[in-house]
Amino acid sequence: MNVVAEQPWLWAGLGAYLVATLIAMWGVSPRSENSPLVRNKTHEKLVLGFIVLGVLLLSAAIIARWVRIGHGPWISLFELLMSQMWSLGLIFALLYWRLPGLRPSAVIVLPVMWILGSWVLTLEPDISHFPATYYNVWKWAHVGVGKVFLALLLAGVGLGGVMILRTTERGRVWFRAMPSDATIDKLAWRLMMLALVFDSLMLIAGAVWAQDAWGRYWQWDSLETSAFLTWIFLAIGLHVRLTYKVKPWVSGAIIIGVFIMAFSTYFGTPYLSPSAHKGVI
Amino acid sequence: MLRRLASLKFTLVGMILLAGGAMLSYGNPVDVSVWVLVVPLALLALNLFAAIVTNPRINRQPGLLVFHVCLLATVLLAGVGRLTHLDGHIELAENQAFNKDELLDVQKGPWHRGNLDKVHFIQGRYTVDYAPGLKRGLTHSQVFVPRPDGTLEERDVGDDRPLILQRYRFYTTFNKGFAPILTWIPAQGAPITGRINMPSYPLFEYKQDNRWTPPGTGEVIKFWLQLKTGLNLDEAWVLDGRNASATLVVTAGDKRVEMQPGEEVQLGPGRLRFESLTTWMGYRVFYDPTLQWLFWVSIAGVLGLTHFFWTKLNLAPWVDEADTAARGSKA
Repeated sequence: MNVVAEQPWLWAGLGAYLVATLIAMWGVSPRSENSPLVRNKTHEKLVLGFIVLGVLLLSAAIIARWVRIGHGPWISLFELLMSQMWSLGLIFALLYWRLPGLRPSAVIVLPVMWILGSWVLTLEPDISHFPATYYNVWKWAHVGVGKVFLALLLAGVGLGGVMILRTTERGRVWFRAMPSDATIDKLAWRLMMLALVFDSLMLIAGAVWAQDAWGRYWQWDSLETSAFLTWIFLAIGLHVRLTYKVKPWVSGAIIIGVFIMAFSTYFGTPYLSPSAHKGVI
Repeated sequence: MLRRLASLKFTLVGMILLAGGAMLSYGNPVDVSVWVLVVPLALLALNLFAAIVTNPRINRQPGLLVFHVCLLATVLLAGVGRLTHLDGHIELAENQAFNKDELLDVQKGPWHRGNLDKVHFIQGRYTVDYAPGLKRGLTHSQVFVPRPDGTLEERDVGDDRPLILQRYRFYTTFNKGFAPILTWIPAQGAPITGRINMPSYPLFEYKQDNRWTPPGTGEVIKFWLQLKTGLNLDEAWVLDGRNASATLVVTAGDKRVEMQPGEEVQLGPGRLRFESLTTWMGYRVFYDPTLQWLFWVSIAGVLGLTHFFWTKLNLAPWVDEADTAARGSKA
């Protein structure tokens, strides 16, 4: 097996995320509640520290690949997954640091990130071709706000998952230290509101880029349709919550539904369809 | 009546219908009517208008009001854009001036009132970079635009850098290639000079052929262009007409002739001269006068939404710390 420059950094970064995941799981377990590390919340600092370490190691992986192949992580699934692992980790670390109320939800968020982590390990780090249309500066805006959008959704998934799991006895034990469902629901939908802002910006920046790159701002290609469906599902979720009194677990299910749509938009559609977004035209 | 139209339940129905329409439009299939999108969008626009007028949750909160007004304006502008747009293609050879009558596959809205007559430019040379494996890189297409003083301004366009004249946007495409310039000298009458565009290169590198029937004759002449461009699949390569040469194989009836530029051949009722080899570039032509309005209106909408969330989210703490502490102590 031929190991390329970015792989050791990638593996180390994923290793750091793995340690953070295990500590977070240990922290919510009832068996550990008498541990001094848990009582004085030192384990939360450890979780945050390992996530930050993972982000730093993934930064090194991205830089190493950038130097090796001459362009950023924009094209292949390997690059996109690596870069999403980085941005999701970075933004979740910020939320974890600033919003203590959501910290136990790391036991849901980090395993979801592990779907990406496991996936990237199965892919070859082949050199990708950088298409001419990707020199456009709007790509940075489109991808940047898109990363924030997905990270906010992921944090919402953590809270949504807590509301669903709390319908079970085990879930109520695991998340005993978290605020009430009403407070979690409020926090989750605040994150969803912010996600709507960043999703809207992503669509606008993407439309400007598409106009420059392909001569049309919107054409209902597979990826555009999928991205629009994510936006409308999020808007539907916000309006359902305004219109009806929604139970917390339903609220959580709506958030997870929107995330699944966004996830398939990011990591499914561009690689299943001959969409222009693959940039190989 | 307006209050009923402004119902949030009606909003949800409209959104679900729009999501359904978008799913049907997935991948832009040709057999799905545009009405699957137009009807829900029209319903939502009506609902949105009614809500803006009657719903105090919207019209008394500046940020939310701006967002919803901009959302409505975006839908309306997109509609106006479709009614006034123009889409088309054109293939221009080196030194050829743009002529609106040569546009191909033109689709335009019923309200299209552009100044295509005022669009003037001349096509120059172009180059296209290819990475190994024939992966297309940057396109540099040289065009000359007349200045008011009669001189020509050289511009480099390509890929995401369109030529924009009179709000018409000309985008280079993958569709480009070579064309022999030919003169047909009939036994009687004036000679005709023109070009035969060969299929896109290098996409149809293996199929550089075309046919033409000289006017006044029933004889079909077949052309096959044997190109030497330096194309090598395993190495980086630049498509550049200046580095290309060609042999033109002409077949008419039983006669088959290989020609070099400058050579002539007698073909039945006339003579054919292969003048030279040139290149052509295919452009996508796009016109939509609402583009900049759409951009600024959508940005204003997002700013309105941001303002609303900013004020709303700052009114109460993100996490009720007392609640957190209480639950923590219970545990």
